[in-house]
Amino acid sequence: MEDPKQTFLKELSSANNLSELANLRVKYLGRKGIITERLKSLSALPPEERPLQGKNINEIKESIEADLDSRESRLKHEELKKQLLSDSVDVTLSGKFIPFGRPHPINKVLSEITDIFVGMGFSVEEGPEVELDYYNFEALNIPKDHPARDMQDTFYITDDIVLRTHTSPVQVRVMEKRKPPVRFIAPGKVYRCDADITHTPMFHQIEGFMVDKGITFSNLKGVLEAFLHRMFGADTPVRFRPSFFPFTEPSAEVDIGCILCGGAGCRVCKGSGWLEILGAGMVNPKVFEHVGYDPEEYSGFAFGMGIERIAMLKYSIDDIRLFYENDIRFLRQF
Amino acid sequence: MRIPLEWLREFVAVPADASEVAHKLTMIGLEVEAVENLDNDVVFEVNVTPNRPDCLSVIGIARELSAVYNTPLEFPDHDILAETGELDFNVDILDKELCHRYAGRIVKNLRLGASPEWLRNRLEKCNIRSINNIVDITNYVLLELGHPLHAFDLGTIKGRRIRIGTPNTVKGKGAKVVIKTIDGVDHEMPGESLLIWDEKRPIAVAGVMGGHETEVSDSTKDIFIESAYFDPASVRRTSKALGLKTESSFRFERGTDIKMLKKALDRAAYLMKTVAGGDIHGKIDIYPKRYRPAAIIVRYERVNEILGLRLTKKDMLNCLNGLGFEIETLPDRLKIKPPAYRRDIKMEADVIEEIVRIYGYDRIPAQLPKATIGTEGNELKVRSNIKQAFLKSGFTEVINYSFMGIHDIDMLGIDEKDERRNSVRIKNPLRAEDSLMRTTLIPSMIKNLVHNVAHGNKELRLFETAKVFIGRNENSGLPDEREHLAALYYKEKVKALYKDETHDFYIVKGIIEAVFNELKIYDYSFIRSSEPFLHSGQSADIFIMDEKVGYVGSVSPAVIDVLDIKAHKPAVVVMELDIDKLMPYTMQVVKYRALPKYPHVERDTALVVDSSIEASAIVAWLKSYASDMIEDIHIFDVYQGKNIPEGKKSIAFNVRYRAAGRTLKDEEVDALHKSLVDYILDKTNGQLRQ
Ligand SMILES: [Zn+2]
Repeated sequence: MEDPKQTFLKELSSANNLSELANLRVKYLGRKGIITERLKSLSALPPEERPLQGKNINEIKESIEADLDSRESRLKHEELKKQLLSDSVDVTLSGKFIPFGRPHPINKVLSEITDIFVGMGFSVEEGPEVELDYYNFEALNIPKDHPARDMQDTFYITDDIVLRTHTSPVQVRVMEKRKPPVRFIAPGKVYRCDADITHTPMFHQIEGFMVDKGITFSNLKGVLEAFLHRMFGADTPVRFRPSFFPFTEPSAEVDIGCILCGGAGCRVCKGSGWLEILGAGMVNPKVFEHVGYDPEEYSGFAFGMGIERIAMLKYSIDDIRLFYENDIRFLRQF
Repeated sequence: MRIPLEWLREFVAVPADASEVAHKLTMIGLEVEAVENLDNDVVFEVNVTPNRPDCLSVIGIARELSAVYNTPLEFPDHDILAETGELDFNVDILDKELCHRYAGRIVKNLRLGASPEWLRNRLEKCNIRSINNIVDITNYVLLELGHPLHAFDLGTIKGRRIRIGTPNTVKGKGAKVVIKTIDGVDHEMPGESLLIWDEKRPIAVAGVMGGHETEVSDSTKDIFIESAYFDPASVRRTSKALGLKTESSFRFERGTDIKMLKKALDRAAYLMKTVAGGDIHGKIDIYPKRYRPAAIIVRYERVNEILGLRLTKKDMLNCLNGLGFEIETLPDRLKIKPPAYRRDIKMEADVIEEIVRIYGYDRIPAQLPKATIGTEGNELKVRSNIKQAFLKSGFTEVINYSFMGIHDIDMLGIDEKDERRNSVRIKNPLRAEDSLMRTTLIPSMIKNLVHNVAHGNKELRLFETAKVFIGRNENSGLPDEREHLAALYYKEKVKALYKDETHDFYIVKGIIEAVFNELKIYDYSFIRSSEPFLHSGQSADIFIMDEKVGYVGSVSPAVIDVLDIKAHKPAVVVMELDIDKLMPYTMQVVKYRALPKYPHVERDTALVVDSSIEASAIVAWLKSYASDMIEDIHIFDVYQGKNIPEGKKSIAFNVRYRAAGRTLKDEEVDALHKSLVDYILDKTNGQLRQ
């Protein structure tokens, strides 16, 4: 009897795909396959020869099965490789995506500041942008015919209505609505009749305000130092110096060490090493009188800052008008 | 205010160099904004706040330094050695409330000419142009002592008489009074403005500017020098009314030193005699309204309560002693009378500031107050959510000025009766195009488009949230301020790596739906819009329940046509939402619903219907079919063209069925779906697509 293994191996080596391999499997191991037939024919042999022959054929069968399996797994692997290759994409082409939008740098800085104060227990309040002269000036101890009005060039709607020149009127509106304690910030747009490389007719401020029993100048320093250290870094020097605002007394201007030159003096800080960043002070008792708070019982502080200035320092922007041109090549940098 | 250090040192021996002096001044509230180094001197640019007119002079700054360095203040020489003759002059103050004191001197036989070197030099350091020795001396004294003086040509004063009064007082109400000031301008004076008059006519606008006819000229020999105290508010009103701001009005409206005015007068006369060789005649000084400050009570305890310090009485006195106050010490308080040059000190808080100003702001410890938890409030959170949705959808935030012009509203073709024409007008706008407050954000968005396209930006997704200002409330006079959101989408049709056939309208509409989804607003609908500036076939008004909250649509080609955009006519989609109107619909509490336990079955069907039938109508009809097993219906294909008859369109929809308590059988879904399809065919008068 010839050895079927030899023919099988020859045929196996020429089976180059899975269907040829499947045919080969049927040819040898199928119900009428060569090996199956051999096994069936064992019964025709004399009983004493059967064990040896049987063992022989079973060994061939197992070896063929093993060869088929191993060949199949190799072919499968090769076919998968071929398929993956034909399905491949150029991974260097750019992906399809819509870049996220960017918040306006002013609002980005504004929400950063808001978050810091909310973390310190301040709530957020708002007030109208078209405001009564009373709230914008009178109630803040800036009477008509007072030179302090020169500090702010005002847009007028009527003699009694203005575009608010600062966010401070929110103080008065909140105090009229609520009894102390109050503690809030009021971010928003303000307007001054002024336009050049450092001024735009509209800009943004954040007002901060706190009134309670026993609030001190020392507390004002505490809150503002904490804020400035969070905003500009814990090592930033902070300096308070006397100033004047009609609605606070004592009043202070708050400077930080110049973040551009580290205090050595540069163009931005005009050589002083300091940058003016905030106006602040203890609420003037006259403001309390306007809203019926008892200045003997309560004290408090107020502060205000311009957002454009902070954003310009933070991002080294040298022309304030860029904020309102809204060129996306500018806006997408933040 | 420019202050030369060398001049300062004449009055106070400051034991420090220029940079230390600058620092010291800054730290007591006189901010030195710049330090200019000259050949032999240093000039400080001092920013003097409006409450400190006393520091608008060399002597004023010297006085502050004398207080902080505890060094004596020397007054400049002003002794009049010989007075020649009496003052045969008559001065009447007619409005004593507006002129509290009026003094004057006559100086005769002056030799008018150029000023000496030292005088010119000091004026120049302070950026004052030298004119002649007489005018220069009045300016010099102004810089030195802070008191404005005015020199009249004596010969031009008629009747040897000076009167101080308003046109109302002198001429009676309604009389027309005109004066030509030294700048050559004729001013018709308001009835309540204070003037200086001679026998016949007004010769100066009190505290603001002298008259042309009595001005010192090249031929002047004899002069009358005026040194007076005018009511600050009155000077300010007059200066505003005339639109005239001068060194003199600047100081008078802030408040001058009523006691210093005599010294200033004598100092000027003295210098004139020295420089121009004149004879000084007698003086007149009428002082009807004397400076009598009320005593201010300052409680030691209160000082420490406000500052958060533990100062002793002695500490406080150390701070106040150099400032010229009259101080009475009591066991628990001080009684303080400020000097005439410190009219800004009116109450306890003002004195507290003086104490801490000298004590040093930097010596106050920083201490946080007791903290509570802050909150942003619900509205701000909703607004922030809306912003986030736009940012995530690729829209970049812009901020525009709140202004617009009437042209902007006209360009949009907004109807005469539309409330967006009911805008707030600014009386003094910077430009006519910016004279109204915005009633819609769209014009700004369109300007952003024009700017960006002009700069080669080919794809724009922009949004802005800002207030619009509508009308005026009858009671307050203030407009209704509403928070709006506007967005603009524009994409130049260029070859792209990946194709996206989505119509621009749906891109923006999709974002609005995403926002509503984010805010859990479900009862919204889009209904064809009639906004005049939108493409009538590609625009929709946005409703929540029955309330219009905004609109979205392609900008009408008629509007695009008039824009300054070159080369091509872009397709632009805009939208605007009234965010305040969304608020009531957003406050829903989230409650979890159990996930379904049993599987769903889906069926798809395509109809052919009249092309005028809108998708929303078909969905509404499908939803009106009563069955609690329909879980969801959505349209997944709309087609017009080949194989579909003219005037018809194919709409394919998908229905998802599910029963709450069991698994649905195919046969039962088939029957239900067939019934639904029959129902919709009946409603739409349509056919099944073959
Ligand atoms: Zn610097």
